[in-house]
Amino acid sequence: MNLDYTPEQQSFRTEVREWMAAHVPRAPLETLEGRKGFDQHVAWERALASGNWGMVTWPEAYGGRGLDLIRWLIFEEEYWAAGAPGRANQNGIFLLGPTIMEYGSDEQKARFLTPMARGEVIWAQAWSEPDAGSDMAAIRSRAIRDGDDYVVNGQKTWSSRAAFADWCFGLFRTDPDSSRHHGLSFILLPLDTPGVTVRPIRQLHGETGFAEIFFDNVRVPVANRIAGEGEGWNVAMATAGFERGLMLRSPARFQATAKRLVELYRKHRDSASPAASAAVLQAWMDAEAYALNTYAVAAQVMAGGKIGAEASLNKIFWSEMDRAQHRAAMSLLGAAAELRTLPDGEPNAWLEGYIFSLSGPIYAGSNEIQRNIVAERLLGLPR
Amino acid sequence: MDFRLNPDQIELRDAVRDYLTAEHGPEVLRRLDAGNRRGPAVWDGLVAMGLTGILVPAEQGGLGLGLVEAVLVAIELGRANVSEPLADTALVAAPLLRATQQAEIAAGTLKVALAHPVNPWVADLNQAGLVIGGEMTSSPTALDSVDPLRLLFGPGECIATEGLLDRAALIGAAQLIGGGERMLGLATDYANQRSQFGQPIGKFQAIKHHLASVAVKIEFARPLVLRAAHALQQNHARAVLHVSHAKLAATDAAMLAAETAIQVHGAMGYTYEVDLHFWMKRAWALSGAWGDRAFHERRVAEAVLDDRFDIGPSTTFLAE
Ligand SMILES: Cc1cc2nc3c(=O)[nH]c(=O)nc-3n(C[C@H](O)[C@H](O)[C@H](O)COP(=O)(O)OP(=O)(O)OC[C@H]3O[C@@H](n4cnc5c(N)ncnc54)[C@H](O)[C@@H]3O)c2cc1C
Repeated sequence: MNLDYTPEQQSFRTEVREWMAAHVPRAPLETLEGRKGFDQHVAWERALASGNWGMVTWPEAYGGRGLDLIRWLIFEEEYWAAGAPGRANQNGIFLLGPTIMEYGSDEQKARFLTPMARGEVIWAQAWSEPDAGSDMAAIRSRAIRDGDDYVVNGQKTWSSRAAFADWCFGLFRTDPDSSRHHGLSFILLPLDTPGVTVRPIRQLHGETGFAEIFFDNVRVPVANRIAGEGEGWNVAMATAGFERGLMLRSPARFQATAKRLVELYRKHRDSASPAASAAVLQAWMDAEAYALNTYAVAAQVMAGGKIGAEASLNKIFWSEMDRAQHRAAMSLLGAAAELRTLPDGEPNAWLEGYIFSLSGPIYAGSNEIQRNIVAERLLGLPR
Repeated sequence: MDFRLNPDQIELRDAVRDYLTAEHGPEVLRRLDAGNRRGPAVWDGLVAMGLTGILVPAEQGGLGLGLVEAVLVAIELGRANVSEPLADTALVAAPLLRATQQAEIAAGTLKVALAHPVNPWVADLNQAGLVIGGEMTSSPTALDSVDPLRLLFGPGECIATEGLLDRAALIGAAQLIGGGERMLGLATDYANQRSQFGQPIGKFQAIKHHLASVAVKIEFARPLVLRAAHALQQNHARAVLHVSHAKLAATDAAMLAAETAIQVHGAMGYTYEVDLHFWMKRAWALSGAWGDRAFHERRVAEAVLDDRFDIGPSTTFLAE
């Protein structure tokens, strides 16, 4: 165990800090869940890419910097400490990118990864269907082979930012006689293909954060399939592992929120209830605990270890922490918590954040499902 | 930066775990509980393992290891629910004493009791050859703890000894982690064996979810204890904060483990007949020892809410 950073890690930190200080937009961007804010976020993705900061752990050949996970953590710390915006690109860089690196052909890597790292193609995840949420093996959308194409029919739903994204990746039934997790394939397709209709769904906060996608005889080249026909389930499970694991929710982001929460507490110290101040402390402590755990897991992975069902522990922890952090802020704000714009003229980002935090325990596999996984695969309880 | 145990640390942990699994099973706890609560044979075994000398320098006949290793041993003591005064003597007191006393500790001939104004109930005063932070009285008054294997004595005059409280709180936190892990294991084993409605109760989601929540709590408390050990060993300015944080998280994890484990055991868990109760009671005892919740919360609050340290991303391992 060595908990000191090396001089190289320190100077990397300085490099990131300086770049962020010079480039992070001064004014906060509008919400990623609306058209205007989305475009602002995509512009930020391009700015990041121009400094080669789009995805630091990726190989240089695909627009990355080939950095290890500890440097990724340092990057994230400086990123969030600088107050940089959320990532419009996250489905691509954190979920699909690693999937393509593991399961894609060389041709697919060359074709998809660099534009992804550069923020030129923004991806949506198209797994859920109206009758297949937690039970993803129940999906019915089909992709039936016809020569060098698949012909896709069916419906996906709750696809985050599909209303604005360029492409989607999803699971489709390529064997019409199959059931459950057999006969599924992992397919990528542009959302402007003829026959695709995207219908935005208004979310709890009022913005169109996700969308339904309808497929009506949509033709997709077979070359857009990742891994073999019928192997989609295993590939999707790997992607889901990335989603619950280290990358999607870096600790620095929650540490930044905890810091802002402490600052909010200092402003409201006189009116804060003992329960609210306890919640603030707990929020700070949990963000620290999450960071330490991530460093420990990163060190294991760098030494050749794999993250399996442990990713579920991670997902349960960050999603419930996120909700509690925002709940604490809401109680500090008291009566002002309901206002969309706070009395000092700032948008009430805590309210937006609170509403969004309620989705964390649902998406990326609900926490009930994650607890089943922990109990069965880590603790060894019967299925 | 490498937040993993190194091979020597893993070897030490495994050796202690294997030894205690073989020599200090629940039958030992039952025997001690029925008898005079302390076993010379157990103590001799711990000495023979070299555990009394873990923090004693090699020149004094010890292993010369550090607080991270001490914490790894303490986790195993918690897992096995060892009550001999090894934690107080070897893991807390040894570095605070003179060379000759350290040599006696390593040899197993000196047992040390700890007193502090924050923690006035002194454990094992009756067999101690030395008390840190308090007076030896000729006829100490014994107090009954909820933990049947914890021998406590009433408060005499206590004076604060530099460094004592943080070390003791850290070692207590580590024992709580080990105890929490053991209770989770006991409850999981029970859920696999006990059948109701024609199936193992571990098939019911309500049971699964309870146990999974405990696993989450423990998983995220353990690294806090390791960081606190490292910071204290290196004398970091933030060590006090890290220790209090670790004690709070370990307490929460162990208390949740205890409450969940009894729930999963049903009425059986409410009896003296299953082993679980030894660990539950140790968790309750250690939760308030060496600074209760209020004490440690106050210390974290002073550090975090009052702007004493830089907080937020990129300060996780800051030494200052
Ligand atoms: C903000 C947001 C963004 C999303 N983004 C995407 C996206 O980009 N792409 C995409 O494909 N999907 C996305 N989703 C959908 C998400 O993956 C699903 O909502 C999730 O998998 C749960 O499915 P469901 O909504 O159908 O709930 P249901 O499966 O109907 O579950 C309802 C309740 O029942 C519980 N439940 C279900 N099955 C079990 C079980 N076996 N044991 C115990 N409890 C159970 C659930 O935990 C939940 O509490 C998003 C959802 C949200 C809220």
